[in-house]
Amino acid sequence: MRNIKKIIPLNRVEGDLRIQVEIEDGIVRDAYSVGTMYRGIENLMRGRAPMDSLVITPRICGICTTAHLNAAAKALDMAYSADVPDNGQRVRNITLMVEQLQNDIRHAVLLFMPDLIHPCYANEPLFAEAFSRYQVLKGDTALQTVKETKKLLEIISILGGQWPHSAFMVPGGVVSVPMASDIIHCRNILRNFRKWYEDRVLGCPLSQWRQIESWDALLVWLDQSPAYRDSDLGFFIRYGLDLGLDTLGRGHDTFISYGGPDVPNRHRVRPVKGDHLRSAPAFYSPEGLIPLDPDKISEDIACSYFEDDPSIRHPFDGQTIPGDPDTGGKKYSWAKAPRYDGRPAETGALADMLVADQPLFVEQVRSKGANVLIRELARLVRPINLLLAIDRWLAEMTECKSLFFHDYTKAVSARSYGLVPAPRGALGHWVTIENGAIANYQVITPTAWNASPRDSMGIRGPWEEAIVGTEIRDPDHPVEVEQIVRSFDPCLVCTVHALKVR
Amino acid sequence: MAKTLYWIQGGSCGGDTWSLFNADTPDLTELFDFLGLELLWHQSLSSLSSDALDALNRDILEGRQPLDILCLEGSVIHGPKGSGKYDMLPAGPKKNLIRALAEKARYVMAVGTCASFGGIGADSDVMASGLQFTKWEMGGLMGQDFRSSGGYPVINMPGCPCHCEVVVGTLSAIAANMPVELGHYNTPVNWYSVMVHQGCTRNEYHEYRIEEKKFGERGCLFFYMGCHGPLVPGPCNKVLWNRRSSKTRVGVPCFGCTRPDFPQQYPFFETRNIEGIPIELPDGVSRAHYMAYKGMAAAAAPKRLIQRKTGI
Repeated sequence: MRNIKKIIPLNRVEGDLRIQVEIEDGIVRDAYSVGTMYRGIENLMRGRAPMDSLVITPRICGICTTAHLNAAAKALDMAYSADVPDNGQRVRNITLMVEQLQNDIRHAVLLFMPDLIHPCYANEPLFAEAFSRYQVLKGDTALQTVKETKKLLEIISILGGQWPHSAFMVPGGVVSVPMASDIIHCRNILRNFRKWYEDRVLGCPLSQWRQIESWDALLVWLDQSPAYRDSDLGFFIRYGLDLGLDTLGRGHDTFISYGGPDVPNRHRVRPVKGDHLRSAPAFYSPEGLIPLDPDKISEDIACSYFEDDPSIRHPFDGQTIPGDPDTGGKKYSWAKAPRYDGRPAETGALADMLVADQPLFVEQVRSKGANVLIRELARLVRPINLLLAIDRWLAEMTECKSLFFHDYTKAVSARSYGLVPAPRGALGHWVTIENGAIANYQVITPTAWNASPRDSMGIRGPWEEAIVGTEIRDPDHPVEVEQIVRSFDPCLVCTVHALKVR
Repeated sequence: MAKTLYWIQGGSCGGDTWSLFNADTPDLTELFDFLGLELLWHQSLSSLSSDALDALNRDILEGRQPLDILCLEGSVIHGPKGSGKYDMLPAGPKKNLIRALAEKARYVMAVGTCASFGGIGADSDVMASGLQFTKWEMGGLMGQDFRSSGGYPVINMPGCPCHCEVVVGTLSAIAANMPVELGHYNTPVNWYSVMVHQGCTRNEYHEYRIEEKKFGERGCLFFYMGCHGPLVPGPCNKVLWNRRSSKTRVGVPCFGCTRPDFPQQYPFFETRNIEGIPIELPDGVSRAHYMAYKGMAAAAAPKRLIQRKTGI
């Protein structure tokens, strides 16, 4: 019997992450997700003007910056009873979705795939091809991804001034007033990206992929044409199955998604089965789908380096009081433990697909549970829904005369929140305003859900749970652990309170 | 021989790295080959194992691996109470590693406002500082007398995030052994001797004092909406963002993110003013003359502009 305790730092995540695992006889017996940085962003919001959240909270994260802006703006919409006109809503949604698009592809190609070219896979038949596609900064797909995602982000610049870190969303809409020529530019940029995505990543038109509703249908599709097999999606499925990624990383199988963005009052993005852009916020488990009740969200600091009594609070009442990380005991992370109705929940592209009742993903999670392959697959195909909706909303902007901003009256006191589907999943901002200033500000990021440490009951967070039970081929190179964590698209700079994990 | 580059992140959001992904000619994938740089380490771009990274750090610190350029993204975290425990590596506070690497590097670059001046977290219990400044004050992590072996103080490249052209341009100069002229707060004059205001497409509104008082009205954002464009240096409207636009062009006030006091303690989105004249005027401007000039300019404003028949 060989017992090993190992600390695994991960690179290629936004921020640093350290996973501590206990391996016994080649099996992970226990796992701890450890946050080692505290950035204190929530606390520096206190006493500031409420509008300042629009400038400061996007700085929580350099890749989900627009999502934080949107969450902050939504919280202020609610606080000030501001009504967002249709075109304001469209600009918000288009920019939010563009950010999500670039993230999905950048995450998959630049951050996740390099794990699959670890030297330990050198004898795999598809290794050489994987290497030529995904070698960092040199692989074919990697090079194209850098070029294409960069161009795509020009849409946010045209509508919002710059990416990352603008503050163009305000309560009541957006500040910009794009002209028809601006919107045409945006549509052309989107068209360019869509063509690349269909040719290279998907291997087929968007509409064709939407017809795949089961694993069997997926395998049939894969064999239909070399274009499908050789697309990055086709290649990932084949190589992923070779590596057994579909048997890796099953967690609690509980999920949270904030669904799609708020939609304009009048628009033509119709609900389609499996399209998460029209689904409502929900909690999903094998027992079924439960509509989300925001009152049931809480954060637990029993195992986090924070001090508070009680240790479980709704984010409206949440405190962020940093303790001494050397105190020891059961505290081991600068991340808090978000819970829904007392349960941990995984969030991200897969959760979006499940609450949208997308048949392929529901079938797979029901039969095999969540795993590395299905999480990454969800992320690779989520752009289909995004591309179609963005184009429709852009077109609608040129067709109607709606305003982009409605004025409002600032409230002196309020308690409000903004829930947003961010690139990595469920993002929430909760704000309390007193005497015209921020009295309390709490943020729960998607990675906070996924990277959660244990709670008061000792229940592990989602990726801790997903790691436990994993068979490790080479304890000196536990690549399996890295792949599992990476399949959640970790963004540790975001795991604020405001933490960074190593 | 290729110059070596090591990129380390402190208290950071990663935004300067993602901003660098916007680079064009060379883009990020071409940058290192074009400039003859060898990238030793970058959190998001390297695939070194943690053991190999530890070995690399030892080799640099013990002089076996030359280090030409060190880039810091994000602040140096000193909290709580100077201990650095809010940002820990297994071997100790990260600030110690940052200092040790900076002492070995020939050139030290602070990428972004946090690395330059402390930025987000400078006013909190996190006790964030920049490499050689804490907000307006010289000192920071390295102390005011610090010079790297290449003869420079820390080269500050503020901005939240730093524009990719500033990073690529400064790296290009160093790679080619060209001098980098530094101005205020040790920032390269090529990009920080221009005000954000210069090149803004709303300049005509500013000229005739056509103000925006409500979002979306389209006008100059300086008088009421808190725009720092005429007050702070930065190349936003000279080189543009994502090759397309800038915040001020689309109606987002400049928040002065290149300035050592960003994020400022006073509210954003409003101009501190006395009877419609901003308290803070561009450096060196005579208040009395400025008021007279703006009053006359407003009286001379063309109808076309007042009615916003401008396309901007």
